Amino acid sequence: MKRLFASLVPLICAGELFAADVTADFSTANRLYAEGKFSDAASAYENILQTGAQSPALLFNYANAEFKAGNLGKAIAAYRRAELLAPRDSEIRANLGFVRNQVQGATIRESRWQSWFGVLTLNEGALLTAALFWVTLALLVARQLRPALVPKLKSATRLFSTLTIFSASVLGVQAANHFWSATAVVVSAGATASSGPFDDAQSAFTVHDGAELSVLDRHDNWVQVAGGTGQTGWLTVKQVEVLPGT
Amino acid sequence: MNIFPPELSYFLKRKFVAKKLKIEHIISRLHLKRFRLRKFTIVGFLLLAALSLTAPVARAASFTASLDRDTIALGEQATLTLRFDGDAPQNPPQLSEVPGLGFGYVGNQSMNLIINGVASSIVTYTYAVTPTKSGEFTIQVIATDANGNSISAAPVKLTVTAASAPTAAAVNSGSEVAFLKFEFPKNKIYVGESEIGQLELYLRDDVQNFGNFQLTGAPTDGFSPGKIAELQNQRRRVQVGNRVYTVIPLAVPLTAARTGALTLGPFTAGAVVVLPSENQGGNPFFMFNQGEQKQVTLATDPVNVESLPLPEQGRPANFTGAVGDFTMTASVGPTNVTVGDPVTVRVQISGRGSLDAVQLPDQSALQNFKIFQPTSKTEIADQFGFEGKKTFEEIVTPQIPDVREWPPFSFSFFNPDDGKYHTLTQPAVPLVVQSAGANAQPTIAATKNSANENQSAQDILPIKENLGALAKNSEPLILRPAFVAVQTLPVLAFLASLIWRKRADNLANNPRLRRKIAVEKMVQTGIADLKKCAAENNSEEFFALLFRLLQEQLGERLDCPASAITENVIDGHSVLRSAPKATLDGLRELFQLCNQARYAPVRGTSELNSVAAQFAKTIVELQEVKA
Repeated sequence: MKRLFASLVPLICAGELFAADVTADFSTANRLYAEGKFSDAASAYENILQTGAQSPALLFNYANAEFKAGNLGKAIAAYRRAELLAPRDSEIRANLGFVRNQVQGATIRESRWQSWFGVLTLNEGALLTAALFWVTLALLVARQLRPALVPKLKSATRLFSTLTIFSASVLGVQAANHFWSATAVVVSAGATASSGPFDDAQSAFTVHDGAELSVLDRHDNWVQVAGGTGQTGWLTVKQVEVLPGT
Repeated sequence: MNIFPPELSYFLKRKFVAKKLKIEHIISRLHLKRFRLRKFTIVGFLLLAALSLTAPVARAASFTASLDRDTIALGEQATLTLRFDGDAPQNPPQLSEVPGLGFGYVGNQSMNLIINGVASSIVTYTYAVTPTKSGEFTIQVIATDANGNSISAAPVKLTVTAASAPTAAAVNSGSEVAFLKFEFPKNKIYVGESEIGQLELYLRDDVQNFGNFQLTGAPTDGFSPGKIAELQNQRRRVQVGNRVYTVIPLAVPLTAARTGALTLGPFTAGAVVVLPSENQGGNPFFMFNQGEQKQVTLATDPVNVESLPLPEQGRPANFTGAVGDFTMTASVGPTNVTVGDPVTVRVQISGRGSLDAVQLPDQSALQNFKIFQPTSKTEIADQFGFEGKKTFEEIVTPQIPDVREWPPFSFSFFNPDDGKYHTLTQPAVPLVVQSAGANAQPTIAATKNSANENQSAQDILPIKENLGALAKNSEPLILRPAFVAVQTLPVLAFLASLIWRKRADNLANNPRLRRKIAVEKMVQTGIADLKKCAAENNSEEFFALLFRLLQEQLGERLDCPASAITENVIDGHSVLRSAPKATLDGLRELFQLCNQARYAPVRGTSELNSVAAQFAKTIVELQEVKA
């Protein structure tokens, strides 16, 4: 027991120190933002993110700094990553909508059903489905152990079974969207999509900073994308930030 | 790529289709003699386990790699075998990448041997090696054995010779069973232009059947290739030199993606053909000869094509890269609207060319309209995707009442047939736009939430002061094995409850089973009570209990009330006729002892203990009698 405690204490302390460092760096970045040094603030926020730490507020502030520094694509990508963590945060949605309106040229927007499925995060959906599943199975176990309770539990079992199936279906769609409907956000100004995944390929179309495109395929350092008007082309991975579906 | 239906290659499956092999040889088996007493069985198991642990186990791990052939032609396959003598890895070793070679895991074979008490094992893993280019290759395999040690085999070399098209003389002589030709309709093409090349498979007239046709190399440098497909109903027979060949044409859709001197091919392929068997001649009864299968490697000559840039001269300003021959129709409606009302602009461009490159000209400079993101829908009219129509639909809203028309709309494309740019123009469409009066402007999505309602939408919302809960980048819950494993717990609990319920129902519906279980319990506790009585030298109670236990056990076996059981049932009941004589004698003796005890109850402890042991033995035998 003492050994276990002795091994846990350094871990707990390390976690506390890590959080304290991040909080201090976050405050420093906020100060830079308040002083109008948006590029420096964006770099400071990015440094925190590179440690592996992330929170909706951190991504939100980073996105704000990138927007103020004139990087629409990076801002949109960061807002969308923040939205993945906190899909019901109205401030994130408001700023994302505002920045999206500044983007020129072709871009895709999430459909209504995608917005609807994005109300919960993937983990929230998984936990909700698991909870309903456990309740349903608990009711079924109770019916087996106490047959006298079957009439009383009948409607509750039906209700929770239906809710479990519905929740699992929504989770399935959510997961499919998350893993297979990737979006590429253009993070470089005036990128030109090529007709093939090689440097001297013919230009296919031009996309603007911040444009959101569907990812169709990947090949080495190239990403095949489709714009809102249906045209397809290849962009390098440096020109885009690929995000999972909402 | 196998472009032919499976029924054409049904006869090849046995030999050519890769399948997973798993053959387990059990060389020796241990046959354990069944002991009557359980403790002897346990001792036997322990002895055997000890023997097996102390038996010398062959640990010498040797690892070899070998190829079935050291030279193959491009388009053929070789088989790589990895053999482990001794400790083998549990999973197939991952082969390191060799540029120009592809590895496909086929299966494994394992063999366990015990020779002269020495255990050994041989495990072989088999891979199909497919070259994608010619040259000499060295395959170095490093694996990790079962103990986690890295072991390597001596490298093996594979020489891949370049496939080449047969000479004209060989073709004309009729010696080629099959050959491949590739033709491209143009030797000059514009970048962005689409054309269909034709790959032709020639099969000599004596080929009875063919299958497993697979393109092993289709280099299309600088072209974007489409899906290769057979041209339906276009097979034909032609005379080539001295022989007649069946020609199977395949379409290769190609779109030039860059300018310069480009090379198509050589296309290489492999196929299996069936030729008449040499044994067929002279055997008049050989009616259903399936022929002789032969693997052939095919290759074409390369074709050079010059890809020209689109001319700068005469290029319209709104040209967006469409190459082909197109027509355009457009509609705008409704034309009588209020400021902010949506107007649908539908543009349909149809024709021949790469429809992916067709897009609407940039309209960002258009004044007095808010233009929402257009959608597009492509309908393909041919199997290659070169003909069809693309329909764009966009929603626009006039922003001021002064708007009088939707301006002329034009679309430009380059036609490679005449080498000129063409511009299609749709005339302006008159609009009647009325003032919105006091109506609000349409709101943008971002202003629909409460947080932004009070915002003037002139700028973004300010940063957050609190960092909030930190989270590390981690996998979603549904991908974590622990989370998925936890979800099996309620399922297991449910299955356990289901089994419990089944057993309870079974017991409730089976009174004989209930009685059997009750009597078994009673006998178990009864034997303990008998020993207790024996220890106390209480012979009266001992024999009374013994008699009652005999009645209960016999009553359960014979399915009759315990009170009706007397010594007479031993000879009279049909169920006990199948019991061993020794059991019946034992029962009789116990009954007689009980009867004698009524008249001479005083007996010693040791005598009572031996009666109790005899009772226990007889009861066990009686329980084995079929009720």
